[in-house]
Formats: sequence, structure tokens, C-alpha cells
Amino acid sequence: MAKSARREFFVPSDFAEVPQASAGVLSFLEPLELGENALFDLRLCFEEALINAVKYGNRFRRDLKVRVLVEFDDEKVALTVEDQGRGFDPGKLADCTREDHSLKNRGRGIYLMRKLMDKVEYNPKGNRVCMIRFLSR
Amino acid sequence: MDAKTFQKDGVNVFEVAGEININTSPELRKLFERESLKRVVVDLQKVSYIDSSGLATLVEVLKRVKAQGGLLGLSGMSDKVRSLFEITKLDQFFLIAETREEAVDKVKQPS
Repeated sequence: MAKSARREFFVPSDFAEVPQASAGVLSFLEPLELGENALFDLRLCFEEALINAVKYGNRFRRDLKVRVLVEFDDEKVALTVEDQGRGFDPGKLADCTREDHSLKNRGRGIYLMRKLMDKVEYNPKGNRVCMIRFLSR
Repeated sequence: MDAKTFQKDGVNVFEVAGEININTSPELRKLFERESLKRVVVDLQKVSYIDSSGLATLVEVLKRVKAQGGLLGLSGMSDKVRSLFEITKLDQFFLIAETREEAVDKVKQPS
């Protein structure tokens, strides 16, 4: 029988909420029986996106929530993280691995998301990111 | 996260356990700020998870050590943690060793 499910929830904009949100995502994905590596990558990418949404999008305003959508089917896991901020242009982020930027502490979270997930797409406004990981990789 | 620090062969060794994440990395940063940072080894053998804030904390320590003309070694990384350093190309900037003893050897002052 095909497995598929989706769950949406909202996270207050506070770093203290990250562990519980992350645990909620991983627990929702349990039916997929993913290996340790995949779980590590999914957790890391989700947390990086959530942290950016809390810090840069919603600017730590607890009255603003981050919307999280977790979906899976037989082929993939999709994680969507959306804040209520003004958005940004991810194309303008400097490459954190470029020699003159490597020791600057900006952009590494998004870089890891792009390397560990199979697809990372921002909406035009830049306040919503959808990350996809194919299960067959 | 738990961290303890001790001296070995003139090297400040920081043994970190648990997760270095957005909520624990500030505590680790404060620990580094309290100690002298000329010859340093950070042993990550008991670290199960690190995020970009954890990587940033280690980069900040590296910069401080370099500013004092010192050396910083990392040891005991799991394959997963090591892969994050490789993906972000940070492995080019740190002395990396399999064991704490090897890292101390690389970093200590020649006798």
C-alpha cells in the first residue's frame, strides 16, 4: 500500500522551539523507516531553514509564527518552511566556500540545505522554502 | 551539551559531548572566551550533531587562535560530522586528526 501523508503546524519564532519542532518532523516521518544518515540530513536542513525563518524572517517576534509543512509519499519527503517576513533574494548570498568568504559566518546553513537535499526552492518573495529529498538516493 | 577543558602537553584540550546546535553553541562560545587560546584541541568524539551555528563557533575559535599565532586541532569526528566540514570546505582550515592524542601531537610546541 502506498504511503503518503502531510502535516502542517506552526512554530513560534523562538530558537527554544526548534528542538520540539524538529522532533515533531522526525516523528512524523517514522513510517518511512529512514536510515540514520537520511534522518540526520533531514533534521539538519529542517532546523537550518527554521532557524533562518525565526531569525531573519520573523526577527524573533513570538507573535509571528513559522508555518511548517511536512509531506511524504513513496518517492520523496518534502519540507516547507514559511515565515511572515519581507523575504530575501537567495541568489544574492555569497558562496560560503569561496576562498574570501570561507571564514565568514554567513550562508552556511542554506549552503548545507542545497548540498544535503535534492531540491531547494524559494518562492519569488523569498519567505518560503521547499526542500525535497528523494527516497531512492 | 557538556564540555570540559584540561591541559595536556601545554595544549588546551576541550572535550565536547552532545550536540553543538543553535541553543548550545552560545554556551560553548562562552567557554572558549574564558580560556587562553594559543594551542588548542577540540575533541569532538562525543559530539553527535552539529549545525551551522556550531561550525561558526569553531570558526570563531580558529580565527582567535590564528590571531595569536597559535594552532587549533579538531579530533574524533564521526563520519557525519566530518562530512559537514568537507561539504563546507572548512576541513581546509583546521588541523584534523582521528584521535585526541594525534591532535595534541600536531598542535603542541616542539620540545
